[in-house]
Amino acid sequence: MDERTPRKFATTPGTRDILPPESDRLVDVQSRVRERFRAFGFREVVTPALEYSEIIEEPKLRDASFKLFDPDNQMLLLRPEMTTPIARLVAQRLRNNPPPYKLSYSLPVYRRTGIGHGQSAEFHQAGVEVVGSTSAAEDAGTIALLAGVFESLGLQAGRDFNVVLGQTAFYEGYLRHAAPESGAEILEALAAKDLVGVGALSAGLPDEFAAGAGAIPRLVGPATDGSILEEAAGYAIGDEAAAALENLREILAHLEAHGCLEAVILDLGLIGRRNYYTGAVYEAYSPKLGFTLANGGRYDNLLRRFGEPLPATGFAISLERLLTVLPPEEPPLLVVLAGDSVDASREALRLRRLGVPVLQLAADTSPEMAAEYARSVGAGWICYPAAGDLDLAPIGTGAGGIEFETSTPEMAAEKVLS
Amino acid sequence: MSGLRIAVPKGAIFADALRALGGAGLAVEELRENDRRLIYRLDGAEFIISRPSDVPVFVEHGAADLGIVGKDVIEEQQPNVVELKDLGTGWCRMILAAPEERAQDVRRAIDHAEVVRVGTKFPQTARRYFEGMGRQAEIITLHGSVELAPLVGLSECIVDLTATGTTLRENDLTVLDELSTSTARVIVNRGSYRLRNEEVSELADSMQGAKEYGRNVD
Repeated sequence: MDERTPRKFATTPGTRDILPPESDRLVDVQSRVRERFRAFGFREVVTPALEYSEIIEEPKLRDASFKLFDPDNQMLLLRPEMTTPIARLVAQRLRNNPPPYKLSYSLPVYRRTGIGHGQSAEFHQAGVEVVGSTSAAEDAGTIALLAGVFESLGLQAGRDFNVVLGQTAFYEGYLRHAAPESGAEILEALAAKDLVGVGALSAGLPDEFAAGAGAIPRLVGPATDGSILEEAAGYAIGDEAAAALENLREILAHLEAHGCLEAVILDLGLIGRRNYYTGAVYEAYSPKLGFTLANGGRYDNLLRRFGEPLPATGFAISLERLLTVLPPEEPPLLVVLAGDSVDASREALRLRRLGVPVLQLAADTSPEMAAEYARSVGAGWICYPAAGDLDLAPIGTGAGGIEFETSTPEMAAEKVLS
Repeated sequence: MSGLRIAVPKGAIFADALRALGGAGLAVEELRENDRRLIYRLDGAEFIISRPSDVPVFVEHGAADLGIVGKDVIEEQQPNVVELKDLGTGWCRMILAAPEERAQDVRRAIDHAEVVRVGTKFPQTARRYFEGMGRQAEIITLHGSVELAPLVGLSECIVDLTATGTTLRENDLTVLDELSTSTARVIVNRGSYRLRNEEVSELADSMQGAKEYGRNVD
């Protein structure tokens, strides 16, 4: 490199250009995710990237947002997530339609990140929200949809991914009964995933509650194994905890009907973000990745903020993370047709009409150069027009000779598409 | 055994960590702190040896399923991992200390909410401590021999770890306050904790710490 690139010509920290083949893959995954969302009747919305900063209440998320000012000197932020903008949209725009509102999105979100944490400042999320229903069937439906999305992308439930399911109201209800004073502190420790802290605080409770307070957050196991719920039932003290457990049972019954119970791991210590989820809460994991692929749950208190106290449930998938765990896929078909003659343009059209994607390289170029170009754009074939027929050659990855075969466009198309 | 990957920290709690893992029936005799090898495959489990402050990074990203690390490091970094077990070993304290002869001045400066300069390896911990008291501090991050900072005028006081207090005494530093105490913890990746809960819990349950070992951080 003779000259250093000026810093301002790089992308900003945490952002990046996404190039083929990764960009192809991202767009392809987005469209397949959309297809699944549509199959469940979700309708896609697009909200502005900029929102007034007041819409996000959670301090951590506000701190993590990029902020700027509009001409009226109002503080704006780049949306750090999609659930709140959709809650705002529902409260403001859809009041006159009957609930529930089933909406989906597939958009980038923005968060400030420290350099060196391996995190992105811009990432793509796809998700759904069901607003206006408290039914356990809706919670289960979104979980089944999430599992369906993963399966449609070639992941196998239980082997390539799991959905970890909890119910925040169960432990909260138990603590309201068992630890009216230190409950908040215990939940704070649990939200920080500090099971040591939870244990230490639980040990200070009266004897009849100490065991439960320490044990509930450690109840983890496959949903198909009834012993987790059985054990939990022993701690279902008070109306709230009992109702939460009943809700969890209902969700599992629906999940069994959806045929995706084997994807589910129960974790009664999973509560997600503190003071956000109000019932079912879930995270999807792959054994190949240390981070969540998707997060979701019931958030019945969020809409109140926008003047419409509606219950809601939904999830968001991290598409970049999902991409890293998907099985490798064959590159898409593409033929490079070399030549800038009118004949070449005509042959390109004929091939496209036969269903073959064709990139016309409008240049008078040698087979070697054409092959090199074809490799750079991920094409598997090169061809030249040959007096009504086509000279077609596959491109290997090696430097071996290029062997053309002359055939009619129909035969060429058949060869490429087979 | 399981095929779990375990991050073991070099330094002060290395020996404690090995004892705990050995107690759980893992053949860890082969692990050496000063070996050039960074990764060991033994007995079906994999071990990586890293700096203590890197252990939470490996675990959070899932590059290790679980790790052993001091609570002091967890509090400083606040990684998104499951803190599963207190081994009880490697006990030490996070303290605020200043040179003996200027201790009164520093105490007064803090009381009067004047800005004090603090040398530390734990900038977030120090910042939270001063902010929590409504006091102001200028924090200077160092990576070793923090005790040196007040001796040469780089800072007025330090926030650092101590177990026995020997280094503090040798450098005529006196403890002004104790921020917290720390012991070695077992931390687990969020995914591994859920997807491989049985193996992880079994291993953590069978790891035994011992209360009587002080950590030699001085």
